[in-house]
Amino acid sequence: MLCHSSPGISLSEPKGDLGYIFELKSSHQESGPWEGRVLEKREKVPSCIHGCLEGRAQICWLEEVPLEVLRQRESKWLDMLNNRDKWMAKKHKKIRLRCQKGIPPSLRGRAWQYLSGGKVKLQQNPGKFDELDMSPGDPKWLDVIERDLHRQFPFHEMFVSRGGHGQQDLFRVLKAYTLYRPEEGYCQAQAPIAAVLLMHMPAEQAFWCLVQICEKYLPGYYSEKLEAIQLDGEILFSLLQKVSPVAHKHLSRQKIDPLLYMTEWFMCAFARTLPWSSVLRVWDMFFCEGVKIIFRVGLVLLKHALGSPEKLKACQGQYETIERLRSLSPKIMQEAFLVQEVVELPVTERQIEREHLIQLRRWQETRGELQSCSPPRLHGAKAILEAEPGPRPTLQPSPSIRLPLDAPLPGSKGKPKPSKQIQKEQKEQQKQAKGYLDKPPTPNQTKMASAAGDACPPQDVAPKDPVHQDPAPQDSAPQDSAHHHSRESLTSQESEDTYL
Amino acid sequence: LHNVFKSDFLFKFLVIGNAGTGKSCLLHQFIEKKFKDDSNHTIGVEFGSKIINVGGKYVKLQIWDTAGQERFRSVTRSYYRGAAGALLVYDITSRETYNALTNWLTDARMLASQNIVIILCGNKKDLDADREVTFLEASRFAQENELMFLETSALTGENVEEAFVQCARKILNKIESGELDPERMGSGIQYGDAALRQLRSPRRTQAPNAQECGC
Repeated sequence: MLCHSSPGISLSEPKGDLGYIFELKSSHQESGPWEGRVLEKREKVPSCIHGCLEGRAQICWLEEVPLEVLRQRESKWLDMLNNRDKWMAKKHKKIRLRCQKGIPPSLRGRAWQYLSGGKVKLQQNPGKFDELDMSPGDPKWLDVIERDLHRQFPFHEMFVSRGGHGQQDLFRVLKAYTLYRPEEGYCQAQAPIAAVLLMHMPAEQAFWCLVQICEKYLPGYYSEKLEAIQLDGEILFSLLQKVSPVAHKHLSRQKIDPLLYMTEWFMCAFARTLPWSSVLRVWDMFFCEGVKIIFRVGLVLLKHALGSPEKLKACQGQYETIERLRSLSPKIMQEAFLVQEVVELPVTERQIEREHLIQLRRWQETRGELQSCSPPRLHGAKAILEAEPGPRPTLQPSPSIRLPLDAPLPGSKGKPKPSKQIQKEQKEQQKQAKGYLDKPPTPNQTKMASAAGDACPPQDVAPKDPVHQDPAPQDSAPQDSAHHHSRESLTSQESEDTYL
Repeated sequence: LHNVFKSDFLFKFLVIGNAGTGKSCLLHQFIEKKFKDDSNHTIGVEFGSKIINVGGKYVKLQIWDTAGQERFRSVTRSYYRGAAGALLVYDITSRETYNALTNWLTDARMLASQNIVIILCGNKKDLDADREVTFLEASRFAQENELMFLETSALTGENVEEAFVQCARKILNKIESGELDPERMGSGIQYGDAALRQLRSPRRTQAPNAQECGC
């Protein structure tokens, strides 16, 4: 049913996950000649539960979830959110399943923070966002950001008015990022991502989620040369060969560069492509399972748009084909259909990583080394948690001697040796990991990282810029530090910190 | 309505220039004859096509509208190949966008073709009060670099259609005079569905103001 015509459901669910109240700005701060017109529209028009203004939305469908089911899901999610470690450690499969079913709208914002590790980052860096927020920022970026503020989801009530709350927060988040990573600056494709986050959480939380997306889920996507997105275009195209040979053949015969259709899809995580409720469901899965979901959605869309000879009849030329991919049939983007297809499509992290290696080698042969260094990407919530364990209470007594991060332990030449206790714990964790991880996320990354050599400075360990410096995790969790570092130095530190 | 006509030619056009100069709005105004006040910024590339009547010939324009931000250039440059014409857009209220023109021009000539026909568009003509670039200055720049030049407004529609049509007309003239060979690879020109017949023997009888675009 159409979203805005479902009063029963909109009553049962708060508007915006935090129950934001959006005030109607009166005409002060008139910053553009069209201000009046937009406001007028807004005053008259009711909006759906997602905040889309009627008649201006991407088609906004809502799959009806019975109220009772919704309540049940909410209480399950509340339990998960309140017992993060238990759930993340032991019941990852279950979390994945629940993300596939869709996160209840009232808890979506919290769940995204929890899955992405944005919440942990925030806890580890108290006051950081405020500090960035207070800084003036580089005018070079501010100018570009300002030009984009009114161009994000203008159909959404939060962003409709110039200079309104939504646009102000968007500015703060994007500006803060340019200060947090000055060498990355601002990429226009970050704006829709930040806007979607802001629809679900306050600015500070949205900022840390954005950081996680840019650095863990989609590293390199927004960097200077956009090399990561070009590589992923090749990976997508190569995966398509198995998923839909017909579509693959057609696209290669017409010499259509993947960049022509996938740039916006991937860089915005489909936020500007799919109907709104599908966007949310895709993001639920994306936060849990990582970039695999983005690849799968792309593959499903290509398969259903170009996957049969009948469909190709209308796409004789290059231009017609691109047109078809730019105006996809609503049927294949519809929430229930799309999610089902994405869940069932057998494309795994391992396949993506293998293909990544192949394409990386090809790139190096034809174009030389990559110019920008991105950290390896982490495939979803579990991998992120393992790479960056948050502050949590530990049952062990805290060690009486604490060593700095790089100090070798007596008796070891290079890397610190873990204590027996830690080794034991590590084994246990590995045992647990086997149970619920479909593929171990790091071996390929480690290989790639070592192949790429040490040319790239590890950002998190030795930041060039003082602004970069995250307070190290031990600040907020002293009792956890020794355990954390020694374990990392053995297992994940190389792959985590060596940039490609 | 467009599909009723068969086109004589198909030209590939580019719209290039800095971010926020109104490239997508120009395209939208040209195709829909409306100002799009709620447009997204372009990520990657957008497309549009329209058939126009230039001096009695139907020309289908296939327009590639590119993202303006510097870091997208590494991606969008790959779209330049085979473009016959380009709108090079700056914002008359922003000197920065004007200063960037030389770079864009080099890219277009190098990556599309030496013969690409370019029209310089000083957009946002309606915001004359905030003007930072004078008409005179820009027209000098255009002359020095052999560009056509118009000031346009995607908001009011002023000179928008003209920009596309003038650019197309110049390309047609070049074809008729033999300066451009549509059959050369990468010319950005293809014969349309109305086939080659009239074009095999180029007529030189073109009246410049005969029938301006009737669509």
